[in-house]
Amino acid sequence: MTAPGAGAASAAVPGPDSTRPAVLLVDDEEAITGALAPFLERSGFEVRVAHDGQEALDTLDVWHADVVVSDVMMPRLDGRELVRRLRTRDDWTPVVLLTQVGESFERSAALDEGADDYLNKPFNPQELASRIRAVLRRSVGGEKPLSAADRLVSGDLLVDRTARRVFLAGAEVVLTPRASLLLDYLMTHPRELHTRERLLQALWGFDLVPSTRAVDHRVAEIRRVLHDDAGAPRYVETVPNLGYRFCGQVRRA
Amino acid sequence: MSGGSRSTGAPGPSRRPGSPWSSPWVLVPTVVGLVVAVVLLVAGNPQGLRFTVPLATVVGVAGVGLGLVALAVLMLRRALARARAAGAAQAREVERVAHRRFLDRLDHELKNPLTAIHAAAASVSATTTDDDRHSPVAVIDAQAARMGRLVGDLRKIAALDSQPIEQEPVDVEALAEDVVSAVQEELAVQGELAGQGAAGRDITVALPRVPWPLPPVRGDVDLLFVALYNVLSNAVKFSPEGARIELRGFEEEGAVVLEVADSGAGIPPDEVSFVWDELARGSNTRGVQGSGLGLAMVHAVVRRHGGQVQLSSRLGHGTSVRLRLPTARG
Repeated sequence: MTAPGAGAASAAVPGPDSTRPAVLLVDDEEAITGALAPFLERSGFEVRVAHDGQEALDTLDVWHADVVVSDVMMPRLDGRELVRRLRTRDDWTPVVLLTQVGESFERSAALDEGADDYLNKPFNPQELASRIRAVLRRSVGGEKPLSAADRLVSGDLLVDRTARRVFLAGAEVVLTPRASLLLDYLMTHPRELHTRERLLQALWGFDLVPSTRAVDHRVAEIRRVLHDDAGAPRYVETVPNLGYRFCGQVRRA
Repeated sequence: MSGGSRSTGAPGPSRRPGSPWSSPWVLVPTVVGLVVAVVLLVAGNPQGLRFTVPLATVVGVAGVGLGLVALAVLMLRRALARARAAGAAQAREVERVAHRRFLDRLDHELKNPLTAIHAAAASVSATTTDDDRHSPVAVIDAQAARMGRLVGDLRKIAALDSQPIEQEPVDVEALAEDVVSAVQEELAVQGELAGQGAAGRDITVALPRVPWPLPPVRGDVDLLFVALYNVLSNAVKFSPEGARIELRGFEEEGAVVLEVADSGAGIPPDEVSFVWDELARGSNTRGVQGSGLGLAMVHAVVRRHGGQVQLSSRLGHGTSVRLRLPTARG
């Protein structure tokens, strides 16, 4: 089983500590931290473990992490509250949430709260490693990520994320809920390749055999509504045999 | 030999009224009347009332009175039947909620152990150079993945009942075409893997064009795809190469019926009523891959769309599955 897509594993060679990205792994389940931490170490990260959100905040006070990987449901302080606390103290360290329930409300909540990405449990650890690398590539110097923005703009396109409304050249357009979730995800992760499988897993929450065409259908809907030409795309680009990528320039508005 | 069909029933209000005799409106005049009558009898009161009524009035009043009594009996019976049906529907709903809670908890409790197994397997395989797909670690990882899918699918079925779903008009013809081409692509891939070209099944689609095409149904196109796909790929899975499979559609009283019929192995009659249950697998399907969740998922999707499912089967002759979905207008 290989991890698809964006973050093709660069070698698991441990370099000097200063070059190893620092990961804070937060989960109250010893079985998970006990198995995941060594794996991430071997994948080339420097890893510290915290057992709940409060312990994570305390650790981050004294130790710099390049990325936080956190469970959602934990005692004392849960994962969503951890993200909220970090963001309110203007800490934009990227956070990957390990969602437990995998329900749609938790997925959108994870994004609304300002998490950078999420994986449904149980996940393939290779997938986690490649998500972490993708998040690290995106985040430059602790800057506020697009996933924490209220409104995003790309050319004529404006997405009001809090109100869940989409405008094209000033006029509101209507997308089905799932297409608008997909557009949101692609825009907050621009210029990044997403495989159909990954999108299906992340946004639909079900991975039923051939239904990656569900992704194709929603992309077609987005293109139709946004008058985007698949041959010369301004927004969503097809990467042949691999998946999709948001090709437009995205900025906060 | 037709199978059971189940339908969604919204739980009706099922207040159980106490005995009407216990109401003071009935009790007070009855008791007062009886007591006064007994007192008058015991006192030997000789007074009486005597009056004449025309025969026509007597007959008329008697007729109307009997009619009213009959009406009251009928209404009472109907009310009782309604109360019983509502009670049964409520019992089913309670059972379903309990079942859903159980599946939620099961899913929840298994997620962390499965995640840990994946991580441990990945951690071990990172230390070895053994890349064999049949190595113990690879087997552990693959089986953990399989369990994860199973548990995830169980939870999805449970969640389907409670989660909001899209309510968009869905073009049934496009849906059917899409499902058929997905199944045919699958068959082609399987055929290539088996090195024998497309492993053919004769799939025919018959959807009406005249006097008008099928109206759209309202719902979630992805979920409906999953439902119809599961039914059609079951038909393929349980029928031999070259077998004929028919996908038919027709309109019926505010609903679109999609029927998938195959000439496959069929289902033993005593198992037909269980096919919609989670993890139900036919006793004659041991050699065929599957989790036994497909039809449960189909049932959950159709129920969520306010429709009904029905399965008929004859052992050795084939099976027909019907999905009845309310139209977008209806």
